[in-house]
Amino acid sequence: MRLRFFAALREQMGASAERTVRAGTTVGALWRSLVAERPELGAVPVRFVVNETYVGASHRLADGDEVAFFPPVSGGT
Amino acid sequence: MFRITRSPIVLDRLLRAVRDPRAGAVVTFLGTTRNENSGRRVVRLEYEAFTRMAEREMRSLAAEARRRWPLRKIAMAHRIGIVPVGHASVAIVVSAGHRAEAFTACHWLIDRLKEIVPIWKREHFRGGQVWIGPQQSAPARRAGRRPRR
Repeated sequence: MRLRFFAALREQMGASAERTVRAGTTVGALWRSLVAERPELGAVPVRFVVNETYVGASHRLADGDEVAFFPPVSGGT
Repeated sequence: MFRITRSPIVLDRLLRAVRDPRAGAVVTFLGTTRNENSGRRVVRLEYEAFTRMAEREMRSLAAEARRRWPLRKIAMAHRIGIVPVGHASVAIVVSAGHRAEAFTACHWLIDRLKEIVPIWKREHFRGGQVWIGPQQSAPARRAGRRPRR
């Protein structure tokens, strides 16, 4: 499935990546596997988005999902 | 009109989009790029969006605002890429029969946009840069969403 990264995460991971993920894997587990490969990611609080919808860490992935990882949305002004 | 754009925001276009003969008030919010943040001098700002989702989230915020208040029309635009200091990075325009709901809805819309619309800001300082994260806690309170992790 296609993974997408934005802002600070994009700079660390590139804009997108392909990963094969077993159906039923949670998005939180997928994130933990990415952090296991690159421990420095663990410092970034992320939000999970599947098919352009915010989801919780326990959301289960299906074939063909597009998964996006968001660092926090810009603040202030 | 709900748009992520690389071009300068043209307020007149948004004003035209909310024109309505039943409206007695049009309230405009412009967010402009400031030359300092937390005491540091900002020389350049840069925005990045998940464009398709950002436009959809803006439309859905507008639909929610219309459910909450008796509004006529709403237009929103956010600029991405490099935005020179002093220029508009975001614009929200709301028309309504009366000013009270137009002001309230416009204020609510910019606050919610900051919370949930996927747009990030990078500030360049002399000698450095930083991605700006949330200055208030983020969005876990949308309906049906569980707190993250």
